[in-house]
Amino acid sequence: MDRKKILIAVDSSENSKRAVSYVGDLLGDTPDILITLLYIERPPDRDTYADDTAWKAAAHAKEKNIQIFLDEARGMLEHKGVAEERIAEKYVVSCKSGIHEPSEDCSVGISIAEEILRVQKEGGFGTIVIGRRGVSRTEEFLYGSVSTSVMHKARVGTIWVVE
Amino acid sequence: MSSIVKNLVQKMHPHASLGRFGDLYTDTTEFMRIDHGDVIHVGGLHYLVLRNEKESSFGVEDPKYWVKRCRELETGERKILKLVFYEKFPITLGSVEVVAYRSPRKEARILDLVRGDCRFMQGFSVDDSAGNNVRILSVVRGKRLAEVVDAIDVDHRTYFFDFFPGMLEKFVVACEAIRFLHAHGENHGDIRLDHLFMEYSTGNYVWIDFDYTYDFHENPFGVDLFGLGNMLLFLVGKRFYTPQNLAQWIDDQHIGGLVYDDFSLLFKSRLVNIAKMYPYIPKELTMVLMHFSLGAQIFYTHVDDFLADLNRCIKVLRIS
Repeated sequence: MDRKKILIAVDSSENSKRAVSYVGDLLGDTPDILITLLYIERPPDRDTYADDTAWKAAAHAKEKNIQIFLDEARGMLEHKGVAEERIAEKYVVSCKSGIHEPSEDCSVGISIAEEILRVQKEGGFGTIVIGRRGVSRTEEFLYGSVSTSVMHKARVGTIWVVE
Repeated sequence: MSSIVKNLVQKMHPHASLGRFGDLYTDTTEFMRIDHGDVIHVGGLHYLVLRNEKESSFGVEDPKYWVKRCRELETGERKILKLVFYEKFPITLGSVEVVAYRSPRKEARILDLVRGDCRFMQGFSVDDSAGNNVRILSVVRGKRLAEVVDAIDVDHRTYFFDFFPGMLEKFVVACEAIRFLHAHGENHGDIRLDHLFMEYSTGNYVWIDFDYTYDFHENPFGVDLFGLGNMLLFLVGKRFYTPQNLAQWIDDQHIGGLVYDDFSLLFKSRLVNIAKMYPYIPKELTMVLMHFSLGAQIFYTHVDDFLADLNRCIKVLRIS
C-alpha cells in the first residue's frame, strides 16, 4: 500500500465534488502524489424502464453527466496545483451496463463499497477519499451508505470521509 | 364482437352467469377498457374477465384496473391476469419517502425463478399481440396472515405461548424464501402483511406480488428487511402498539417506563420494545426486534443475519 496513492471514489454529486476539492486543497502542492478518480458505473435499473430505448437513453444521459464531472474534477485538481500526469481516471464498467461491454472485472452492483475496496486492493492505494451525503439513520437503514460501508469493511489503508 | 365472446363462453363455460358478453381482446394495452364479460386471448388460451382486482385500505376499496380476476375458459380455473402498467410513485416507509417502480418485467422474471416453489405464488408470463407482458397467476387459496392472527381470539400470553412459536417457524421459512430471492439478485420489493398468505390446504405461508422495484445501489435489500422486521413485530405483538392504543392493552404504570429508543426507527409512534409490556417475551426475540428501533446501534443488512437470530429465538421458545 502506498499512502501517496490516493483513490477518490466519485459519482457526479456535490459530495464527490467536495471530496475532490478537499484533496486538491490539501495536497495540490505535494509533488509526489498520484491521484486516481474512481467511478463505479451505476446504470439505471433496467426494471424501472418500460423498454430498452428509454433505459439506454437514461444510461447515456447518466454517462454524459459523469464524463462532465470527471473532466471538471480533473480541472479542479489541476487548478489547485496537481500536475496533469499525476491524475488518472478509473472507470469500472457495470456488468449490467446498457452502454458498455462488460469486462471480466465488471461491477456486479451489489455493493459499491466492496467495488471501491477491490480497486483499492488491486491498485495498492493507501488512501481512499469519499464524499458523504449526510443521511439520517433511517435513510441509512433503507438505502445504505457507501461511505459507512467503506469504513466498516476496509481492513487496510486510510479512509478520508469528506462531509 | 359480443357474439364471438358469447359463443366462446357458451361453448367453453356454459354455466357462466354473466351480466354482459363483452369484447375479445388480444391486445391489452388499453387495460382500462377491459372489464367484466370481456375475454382476453393470450398464449393460446381464453380468459373470461370476472372483475377488476381491488385493494382495501382503511375501509376504502381501490380498484386495480390492470389486475383482472378471470376464469380460464379452457380449464374453468380461476386466474389472475396482471397487465402491463408502468408507474413510478413515491411511497412512504415510516418517515422516509422512497420512489417505487412497478415492473412487469421483474415480476415475470421472479415467476420463472420460483416456479414450483410453494413458498411463492405461481404463474407465468406471455406476450399479448402488442408485445405487452401479461402475467397469468394461479390464485392462492388462503387468508392473509394478518387476518389469521386477528382471528386468534385469545389474550396475548396465550397467543404468545400457544400460537406464536408455530407461526414463527413458518415465518422463518418465509424469510428463507426471501433469502433465496436475494441470493439470485432479486428482491420482493413489497413485503407487508397483505402480501403473505396462509394457504388453506397446507397451512404454508406464500408470498404474493413481486412487481415493485427500487433503484437502490448500496443496500438493495434494505426495503425487504424493513418489511420483514415490521411483520415480525406484528407477529410477536399480535398487533401493532402505538401511544394511542397502548392504554387498551397495558396498565398506565408500565407506559411510563417507555423511552424514545423503544420505538420503531421508521414508524416513530410504533412500539418495538414490547417486552416492556409483556415481560415473558424472551430477550433473544427482543434483541432481534430492537434492530428496527430508534435505539438500534447496528442494522441487519442481509436476511442471513436476521434468520440466524430468529433460529436462535425458535430454540429458546422451544425450551420455554
